[in-house]
Amino acid sequence: MTAVLVQLPPVLRAVTGGARVLEAQGGTVGEVLEHLAAQCPALALHLFDENHTIRRNIICIHNEGIVRAKDMNAHTVAAGDELLLANALAGG
Amino acid sequence: MVTLIVGTKKGAAILKSDDARNWSHEFALRGWGVTASARDEGGRTYLAVSNDVFGPAIFVSDDLKEWKQLESAPRFNPGDKGNETHIRIVGWADFTGRYKDSPRLVDQIWTLHAAHGAIYAGVSEAGLFVTRDRGQSWEPISGFNDHPNRANWEPGAGGLCAHTILTDAKNPNRMWVGVSSSGFFRTDDGGKTWAEKSVGVNTDTGTCVHHVTHDPANADVLFRQDHRGVYRSDDAGDHWRTIESGLPCGELSDGHRCSFGFPIVMDRPSGDIFIAPLDSDNFRLPPDGQLAVYKSSDGEQWRARTNGLPGNCYSGVLRGAMAADQHGGIYFGTSSGAIYGSADLGESWSEIAASLPRIMSVEAYAT
Repeated sequence: MTAVLVQLPPVLRAVTGGARVLEAQGGTVGEVLEHLAAQCPALALHLFDENHTIRRNIICIHNEGIVRAKDMNAHTVAAGDELLLANALAGG
Repeated sequence: MVTLIVGTKKGAAILKSDDARNWSHEFALRGWGVTASARDEGGRTYLAVSNDVFGPAIFVSDDLKEWKQLESAPRFNPGDKGNETHIRIVGWADFTGRYKDSPRLVDQIWTLHAAHGAIYAGVSEAGLFVTRDRGQSWEPISGFNDHPNRANWEPGAGGLCAHTILTDAKNPNRMWVGVSSSGFFRTDDGGKTWAEKSVGVNTDTGTCVHHVTHDPANADVLFRQDHRGVYRSDDAGDHWRTIESGLPCGELSDGHRCSFGFPIVMDRPSGDIFIAPLDSDNFRLPPDGQLAVYKSSDGEQWRARTNGLPGNCYSGVLRGAMAADQHGGIYFGTSSGAIYGSADLGESWSEIAASLPRIMSVEAYAT
């Protein structure tokens, strides 16, 4: 499995006991989120809804590009990559 | 010592006082909307939080300093079908206009209620859940969540939400749940079946209960702030009658005249009831710009109590934002972030905080 670093948005750090960056494994962004959820069940509530669908307004910034929730299960990552989870914003 | 747990749009304000005049302030869970709170018999405090992107959850604390999120939360069953209108109202749309197959999701926890060794949660999309192990696991109350008439439930302006839970201290099989805008439901069989209870309430344009209060030890006497007036029932909700003598009555959008508002709370030792009327569903502002609490000591007549409350005030009090500490203290928060308190059953008021975010819930505990 591929190990990557995931930076969490500030609001989720209350869920992880203050941790800002977590290491997780997976070949796609979706698999990385699955691994995060398995490591931290409290975080799972915020990443996936009742149908185990990635919450639709989460985005992931990877290699300076934005990966939207609907594309996360197909978007591949490489060992050592850094991912940043964030809110999808719709204006200022 | 009085402790106020104030849920705001951007975190929880925790206010404490030994003399009801000087208050210490702390602010927890920055960035989370805090929509409800409750305390169990063991002294654990539960805070329901919500975030537009990351969804709802519940944090707990035994000392009001260290907060830990529970790993479990109220969640519907995978595959449950959602209410299309509710989904449209709360913004779960995917911008394609295809609401028909959207799932039923918990997007907000509107109320937490401690009773009979359990914590009950009322949520939107309207649903009822219970934990009997201090939040380690949550069970859906299927008799309510899969109510046979659910397909006909209509959301209110804030969505389809189960916002009020009442229990009977003497009868664990009886409880009530208020749903905007689909009615006030009672079970007498521990949650298996639920009957809507609005006989005597004006329902010409729907059944929109806003909040209900009572004394769990005298549970059958209920006081109801409805969209279409203020009512009481002396038979556990089977029949209702209007009690608006002394209340300001405005004209609703459909022409009906009644007293409009959201919160209603009771000081159980005295039986006094408190509401914060608004100038109808058109304006939702304090009548004539005077922030006022109305008090009834006999459950029939109301008197305005404004000593210490501001004029030129154009913010209201949301449904869950008023509380009684059951020792004579009454507290409420406004949609513009002010907290007011009274230590003498509403006869006089003082400002406790002025600049909080929008206040969604208030709970008060005297120890």
